[in-house]
Amino acid sequence: MERDLRLDDIDRDGAIADALGTMHGHTRADLLRGALVGGGALLAACAAPASASAASSRARDASILNFALTLEELQAAFYTEVERNRVLRGELKRQADTVGGHERAHVRAFRDVLGSKAIKRPHFDFGGATEGSDAFRRTAVAFEDLAVAAYKGQAPHIRSRAYLASALAIHSVEARHAAWIRRLAGKPPVAGPFDEPVSRPAATRIVARTHFVVRRTSRKGPRFTG
Amino acid sequence: MPDIPAPARGGLAIGAPEPLRADPHAVQWAPLRRAAVARAAPSAHARAVARLGSRTPENTTNLVLVLGRARDPHGGLWIRARLPARRAQTGWLPRSALGGYEEVHTRLVVDRARLTLTLLRNGRAVFRAPVGIGRAATPTPAGAFYVRDRLTRYASPFYGPVAFGTSAQSATLTDWPAGGYVGIHGTDQPGLVPGRISHGCIRLRNADIARLARLLPVGTPLEIR
Repeated sequence: MERDLRLDDIDRDGAIADALGTMHGHTRADLLRGALVGGGALLAACAAPASASAASSRARDASILNFALTLEELQAAFYTEVERNRVLRGELKRQADTVGGHERAHVRAFRDVLGSKAIKRPHFDFGGATEGSDAFRRTAVAFEDLAVAAYKGQAPHIRSRAYLASALAIHSVEARHAAWIRRLAGKPPVAGPFDEPVSRPAATRIVARTHFVVRRTSRKGPRFTG
Repeated sequence: MPDIPAPARGGLAIGAPEPLRADPHAVQWAPLRRAAVARAAPSAHARAVARLGSRTPENTTNLVLVLGRARDPHGGLWIRARLPARRAQTGWLPRSALGGYEEVHTRLVVDRARLTLTLLRNGRAVFRAPVGIGRAATPTPAGAFYVRDRLTRYASPFYGPVAFGTSAQSATLTDWPAGGYVGIHGTDQPGLVPGRISHGCIRLRNADIARLARLLPVGTPLEIR
């Protein structure tokens, strides 16, 4: 019988829950409840597609690449902001500067290949996560672990061998980022012999619950002096 | 024994890492997450200089330009900001009142003597147009301000097809509804541009404001001289 996948399964040290809970006042129990993924959904995500036309395969690949682009935009914006804020020192600064350079390169690569099909760049609000080294460290661990698990979750569904090769190239780099920041955060660089994937809905839900991605609106007409 | 295939070529061209370069033209802004009191110094006990809402009079997200940061003795983070306020053009806001930072590389200059508006990107002029500004009785105020919002979904020939709200406020129309903020907008009387013809707003011909709208991001610093 399939067991439900819980945030605990991908967040073995509680880094995501703790980081997000600290910043936004959620309890760890709330986050774990929110990130529950049904076993059926997990099974469906793991099943091989029955058959697909070339067009639908391309559309699916574009959708997966856009999902990856969203995560890369999130990470790139996070590292860029912390670097602009100049709040890090020493090895942590070196990690952030280096990884930020990688994430920005990833964003450019996805945008180049997606062209007009690429999502619009989202707006972000990282709260206090880019204003101090402790919050940065916790959030960076969460982001890198999430990115690794999300790439792993989507890679088997990529139909294009060329895109799969690129996804694997990025996935291993994200894993190295995760190991680096985990060491700086005093956590074991490797949590166990096997890593678990995270499904796209679960990853989306985790990101949504951070409130890091925001929306800005305009509703009324001018009220200027004229 | 079958050959093991060569590694597949990637479909994405992953380039070199992209280090963040120092950019003298980069300016940060941040939206107001909630209503907040701006203070004269980075402290909850400092004198209040302005009260800011989280929305503009046009019901868009209110925002401020980020000028600096400091911590108070309790470790609380404060942001020195350019404000949309008549009396105090700068003040300190608690970081917790602000949302995520955004960055622009543009600067807008309105020259009241020459009746021109110039947009600079990375220090280079990319757009210039003649403008109408305030009459002698209702002058367009001089100073350092910023572009606060961009409005398109309205139907008013008077304001033209696009309008930008700014943080500048008229010094004379103090009882104007919604605070007497200065806008940058189109017009239904293009023959009056350039000229000193408005209540303080900066008017462009409609073709010019439409072209400017494609180039001008919200958060752009505005110098009126």
